Amino acid sequence: MGYFAKFAVPHPSPAIYASMIAIGVTVFLVIFGLTYFKKWVYLWSEWITTVDHKKIGTMYLIAALLMLFRGGVDALMMRAQTAVPDNKLLDSQHYNEVFSAHGVIMIIFMAMPYIMAFMNIVVPLQIGARDVAFPRLNAISFWLFFMGAMLFNISFVIGGSPDAGWSSYFPLADNEFSPSVGTNYYMIAIQIAGIGTLMTGINFITTILRMRAPGMTLMRMPMFTWSAFVTSIIIIFAFPVLTIALLMGTMDRLFDTKFFATTDGGMDMLWANLFWVWGHPEVYILILPAFGIFSEIIPTFARRNIYGYKSMVISMVVISLYSFFVWTHHFFTMGQTAYVNSIFSITTMVIAVPTGIKIFNWLLTMWKGRIRFTVPMLYSIAFIPLFTVGGVTGVMLAMSAADYQYHNTMFLVAHFHNVIIPGVAFAVLAGSTYYWPKIFGFMLNERIGKWAFWFLTIGFSLAFFPMYITGLDGQARRMYTYSEATGYGPLNFVSFIGTACMTISFILIVYTIYYSIRHSPRHVGGDPWDARSLEWATHNPVPEYNFAIIPQVDSREPFWDAKYKGHELFKGDYKKIHMPNNSGVPFIMSAIFFVFGFALVFSMWILAVISLIGIFICMAHRSFEIDHGHYISVEEIKETEVKMGGNHK
Amino acid sequence: MRELFPAKQVWGFILSLVLTAAALLVYFFNMSRTIGMTIFIVTAFIQASVQLVVFMHARETDDSKSIFANIYYAILIALVTIFGTLLCMLWGWKY
Amino acid sequence: MKVDHSQPLEYSTEQNRLNILGFWIFLGAEIMLFGTLFTSYFTLVDRTGDGPTGVEIFEIFPVLMETFLLLTSSFVIGLGIHAMRLGNKKAMLTFFAITLLLGLGFLGFEIDEFIVYYHEGATLQTSAFTSMLFTTLGTHGAHVTLGFFWGLFIIIQVAKRGITPETANKSFIFSLYWHFLDVVWIFIFTFIYLEGMTRV
Repeated sequence: MGYFAKFAVPHPSPAIYASMIAIGVTVFLVIFGLTYFKKWVYLWSEWITTVDHKKIGTMYLIAALLMLFRGGVDALMMRAQTAVPDNKLLDSQHYNEVFSAHGVIMIIFMAMPYIMAFMNIVVPLQIGARDVAFPRLNAISFWLFFMGAMLFNISFVIGGSPDAGWSSYFPLADNEFSPSVGTNYYMIAIQIAGIGTLMTGINFITTILRMRAPGMTLMRMPMFTWSAFVTSIIIIFAFPVLTIALLMGTMDRLFDTKFFATTDGGMDMLWANLFWVWGHPEVYILILPAFGIFSEIIPTFARRNIYGYKSMVISMVVISLYSFFVWTHHFFTMGQTAYVNSIFSITTMVIAVPTGIKIFNWLLTMWKGRIRFTVPMLYSIAFIPLFTVGGVTGVMLAMSAADYQYHNTMFLVAHFHNVIIPGVAFAVLAGSTYYWPKIFGFMLNERIGKWAFWFLTIGFSLAFFPMYITGLDGQARRMYTYSEATGYGPLNFVSFIGTACMTISFILIVYTIYYSIRHSPRHVGGDPWDARSLEWATHNPVPEYNFAIIPQVDSREPFWDAKYKGHELFKGDYKKIHMPNNSGVPFIMSAIFFVFGFALVFSMWILAVISLIGIFICMAHRSFEIDHGHYISVEEIKETEVKMGGNHK
Repeated sequence: MRELFPAKQVWGFILSLVLTAAALLVYFFNMSRTIGMTIFIVTAFIQASVQLVVFMHARETDDSKSIFANIYYAILIALVTIFGTLLCMLWGWKY
Repeated sequence: MKVDHSQPLEYSTEQNRLNILGFWIFLGAEIMLFGTLFTSYFTLVDRTGDGPTGVEIFEIFPVLMETFLLLTSSFVIGLGIHAMRLGNKKAMLTFFAITLLLGLGFLGFEIDEFIVYYHEGATLQTSAFTSMLFTTLGTHGAHVTLGFFWGLFIIIQVAKRGITPETANKSFIFSLYWHFLDVVWIFIFTFIYLEGMTRV
């Protein structure tokens, strides 16, 4: 029993025991279901070994929705605990574990994969390509993310959850103050998922630079593709910083190095510095694709093309570069001089300008448009005022002297949720509804979707606006309870009501999906929204090769022009199409990474070395592998196109 | 045999050795900090550029614009990170 | 797969061009990786606790040997790629083999350097400075080690399959990696060793 003691949870509770049982039951049901319905071969050949960007994107989407559930339950628990003073729902240790898990899951394992989902599904279609530049690498990206997420998610039932916050500052995160393996999980799971993200960045930059359809110059690309391009650039320069920071953190915990130690010359603040050099560009990685999605939805439902295309592009490029110049605003109070703080104060305030330009451009796109109030458009319209409020509170926080008052109060918590939820969450929900027919072949029910939207918007406002006030009144963040004398009670209770509304919204979203699966008519055609860009010029569902003939582009809205201005999109005859083969290696290598990560978390060195060798064997295999893909014959293309009612020749 | 040793590569190698020697002079002749750092920065960046252009054929293809933009961006952000960190962690602490 | 015969073999197909561009972008990310290591090194360089400083442990001779070995290996692999473009498989393989041997020599000196430091009381755990020194040098060394095996696999593939668009592409990309490691070493040599040995 002694050997297995290290896998026990240091601070168990009924909820954690219940979760262990639930996880066990779910795993059993999944394995039983797959066996009973004889779906193992299907799962392996269609999903686990796929290198198709559309399927990979779909898997990212499903994973993100599952993580949204877990992160949301964390949020509900926190707001329930703080709903009344001196509450006993969660003790301080559990509250710490819950807010740490909530932060990491929502940012790294919900928002990032959601964005990867859209980048994967939409970008190749929008540029008229047949897949990304490196399909195998794409699969590796997904499975590494998946394994990182799995590793993080089992922490609370095996060994103990991280509890040092999503930013895991040293010296709290060091062995002396966080003796459980929780912070090891943090360092290693995020590291594994981060490698996947870096690979995605490389993949999409190459894809967008070299695989655009003929005639699509950079300044004719759709807005979402531009946002994916700029985001990928931020990824490749920001994620290596996190890689090194996590490496140093892991080494401090596992190998007693002195990077962030409090003795022998260590500098604990260096962690905070490196974390935020990554962390600030990270939030722009989250928001820029969200801006891209809104820039697709608003023109479609205002029936006008985007106002100020050039300034939209330039503002995104400027934001991407600038996001690397502002990181110190996350620790204005850490002790550096007013001179240093002033520099970063100014850079932070400047970065609000290009964002403001975008807000005006969206408004001007809607001005004199003929607006259709569909669910995606509702999210986009609500985004504009709500995000603006969040943005201007950001400018308040940017003033370093004033930030001494706001830092680490609920004011800060309100600010970042105020930009992330109306920004990222609304965008991915709007995008899910908008792109659902393209991915799954049927529409999501509008009526239920609208109920979900209203519950979310009202719930969000009720949950987070009171936090601005309690923050200014002095309520600190990450505090598991407060006394009645502080007077924070009533507004925290309002927050709890808001969170309950958001919970109802999530249930309604799930119900929308369920109801639509059961009742929505299939065969809605490739262009249910009457949209403008190339992804809507494909069939429903999109065939494996995307386009039978690569489209010709001569404007910013090639599909719109094809529909209404007589532009010919698909010229020429069918030719045989070269497609990549499926492969099991990405999944296998990522599974070995999981074992490697688990071994490191628990300092099981022999297992770690063996699995590391396994990873290298996979890489060696790839080096020697000869794989030239396969061809789809002209006959097969003709057959598929006829079946889907496309332009046949 | 001669064609196996192209002139550009040979001269690039010799230049790298010369630049390395120049940096070593700072060590062997105990130069002042300012002069030393200047020589270090100049020789290191020139040698890195030699590698990039002569050896890595960065200018050869139609992707060269993207490649150079990528390198400049990376260097800019790396320098901002290095100097910004030193400013926050070391230099910006004297009141 | 369309082969463009007007281009060098490593660029001759579209997938080849994608691979090379993708690798350059990866190198941009690696600049930030090593940039972060340098950031942390410069921040922690004076934080030596009770342990030794750079001046006390750095020796000019092994550092000069490491620099010379890596610089020469970078030159030799350049010759290897040139031989590849001439279609001279034997010369290419010879140059590649010499490159890897020089790399092995570099690693030998570096491992010996680490052993000497350990015996002098500069271990990975001694101080923030030593932790950072070993991690920076070690990350570079790990990259060289990985490169050694990668290069070995490429030599085997070219020997068996000849110079084809695929093997030429892989060899060229490997050479980009190897050159990049030399670029990083230039900065390590200058700003860690020389700077460390000339501090007042």
